[in-house]
Amino acid sequence: MNKVSPSKVLVWVGVILISAITLFPFYIMIIMSTYVSEDIMVSLKLLPGDYLLENLKTVFATDFLRFYWNSAYVAVISTVGCVLVSAMAGFAFAKYRFKGRKVLFGIVLATLMIPTQLGLVGLVMQLRNMGLMNTHFALIVPPMANAFNVFWMTQYMKGSVPTEILESARIDGCNDFRAFFRIVVPIIRPAVITVFLLAFLASWNNYLTPLVVLNKEELYTIPMAVTLFSTTYRNDYAASILALTLATLPIIVIFAFGSKYLIKGMVAGSVKG
Amino acid sequence: MKKIRLNKLYPYLFIAPFFLIYIAFSLFPVLYSFSISLTKWNGVSESAFVGFSNYVRLFTSDPLFWQSILNTVILIVIAIPLQVLMGLMMAVLLKDFFHKSRGAFQFINYTPNITTPVAVGLVFAILFDTRVGTINNILRGLGIATDYIDWLGQPVTAMAVVILLLVWKYFGYMMVMFLAGLSGIPEELYEAASIDGATWWKKFINITIPMLKNTFVFLITTSLISGLQLFAEPQLLFSRAGGLVGGPEKSCLTVIWYMYDTAFTRFDYGYGAAVAYGLFLIILILSAGSIKNIVKEED
Repeated sequence: MNKVSPSKVLVWVGVILISAITLFPFYIMIIMSTYVSEDIMVSLKLLPGDYLLENLKTVFATDFLRFYWNSAYVAVISTVGCVLVSAMAGFAFAKYRFKGRKVLFGIVLATLMIPTQLGLVGLVMQLRNMGLMNTHFALIVPPMANAFNVFWMTQYMKGSVPTEILESARIDGCNDFRAFFRIVVPIIRPAVITVFLLAFLASWNNYLTPLVVLNKEELYTIPMAVTLFSTTYRNDYAASILALTLATLPIIVIFAFGSKYLIKGMVAGSVKG
Repeated sequence: MKKIRLNKLYPYLFIAPFFLIYIAFSLFPVLYSFSISLTKWNGVSESAFVGFSNYVRLFTSDPLFWQSILNTVILIVIAIPLQVLMGLMMAVLLKDFFHKSRGAFQFINYTPNITTPVAVGLVFAILFDTRVGTINNILRGLGIATDYIDWLGQPVTAMAVVILLLVWKYFGYMMVMFLAGLSGIPEELYEAASIDGATWWKKFINITIPMLKNTFVFLITTSLISGLQLFAEPQLLFSRAGGLVGGPEKSCLTVIWYMYDTAFTRFDYGYGAAVAYGLFLIILILSAGSIKNIVKEED
C-alpha cells in the first residue's frame, strides 16, 4: 500500500459492494431466523433478535433431525461409492492400454452431454417395476456413476501416477487391486477430495430425484424437508427460514474447509474446454 | 499363462462398476423414457402405443412447449452475459488489485453457487414477497417506492427476479473459472505491453480477453446446457405465491418444469417423456460443436 489512487479506492468499493450484495440474502436469512414471525411481518429487521432458541425448538420439534440424518447418510454412501467407482475407472483409462479404451472413454465423454432429466420418467417407471419407489436407492446408487468425475480422475491420474508403479507392485507379488488401494489411492488424495466434495454437494442439493421418487415424509432429504416446511409452516416464516439456514449450513462449512480442492476440481473440468 | 490373462482382465474389472451402474440406472432409463414417449400412458392403466404422435403434437400444436423454451431461452440469454461480464470483471479486479484478501472474496462470491437450490428459491421468494419482503421494505424505507411492488405477480418483474437470482448464483462460479484462466496467462505478455506503454484497459482488451477464449467457450457452452435444465429455483420461487405452475402468466415456466408438471403432477408420462426428448434434441444441436472439439482434443 504505497500509494492509493482514486481509481484503486473505486475498485475496492466496487468489489466490497458486490460481495456485500452477494452475502445479503444469507444475512437476511440468518437475521430472520432470530425473530418471532409476527415481528418479521410488521417491519424490516436488519439486526439480530432474540427468538433464535424458540425457533430452533420449533424446527427440532418436527422430524428435522431425521431429515438431516437421511440427507447425511444418503450423501455419504453415494459419495464414497462415487469416489471409488470414478477412481477405479479413471485409473483404468489413465494407466492401462486395453482393447476398446478409446471408444469406451469416448462414450464416457459423450454421456457428459446427456442430462439426467432425460431419463427421469423412465427411471421412475423402472424403480416402480423394481419395487424401489419410496426408498433411498435412486438417491444413492445412480449418482455413483458420474461421467464428469471419471473424466476428471482420468485426467488427474495421467499426470500424477507413475506408470512403473504397477510393474513394481506386480514384481513384489502384489495384485492390481491391492496396488490400487495401497499405492494409487494415497497418491491421488487431492483428486479424491475434489470428487468427494463435488459428489457430496450434488447429493446434498439434489431436489428433482427425491421430488419424484419419495412421497413418504419420513424418507425426505433436506431439500424436500425445506419445501415441506415452507408449506406446513406457511405462517411461521421465522421457523421455515431457520430450516433453510440449517439446510445450507453444512454445505457452507464443508466448503469453507475444502474450497481449495473444490475450486481446483471445478477448474480442472474446464481445462480441456 | 493364467497370470497374463488375468492382467489383461484388470482394466475391464476397474471400469466395470462405472459402466454397470451407468447402463442400469442412467442409460436404461433414458432408453426406457424414449419408449414411453411413444405411448399414451397415465402410469396406471395399460399404456397405448401412439408412435410419434406425442412429438408431432409437441412440435406442431403445443404452444406451451414453445413458450417454455422461449421463456428458458429469454432467461438464460439475458442472465448468462450478465454472469460472464460480472464474473470476468470481478476476476480481473481481484487478480490486479487484491492479493491478501483475494481468497476471502473468492469464497464469499462463490458461496451462492454451492447453496442448495431449494434454499435459494425460497429465500428469493421471501426477499421479493409483496408485503413482508425485504426488498419492498427497503425501497419504501428509502422512499424510492411508495407502493408495495408485486414482484412475483407480474410476468416482467417475475422474470427479472429469476434473472437476478441466476446472476447472483452463478457469477461467482464464472469468477473462479476466470481467475483460473487468468493465472494461465504468461506475465511476460503484460510486461512487454507495459514497456510499449499500453494502458490497463488496452492490455485488458488486447491480451486478457483473447487469452481467455477457451474459458469463455467453456463457460458459455456449459451454462447454456445447464441453463436449459433450469427447474428448482423458479419452481420454488413461486411455490409460496400460491404455487402457480410457471409463475404469472406462465412467464417463468421452464422446459424441465413443464416436463415435471406434465409427467409428475398431471401423470401424462408419455407426453412428459416426449417433452424431455424435445429439449434434449435442442441441447444436442446446441452442443454438437463442443462435443466434436472435446473428442478431437482427446485423440
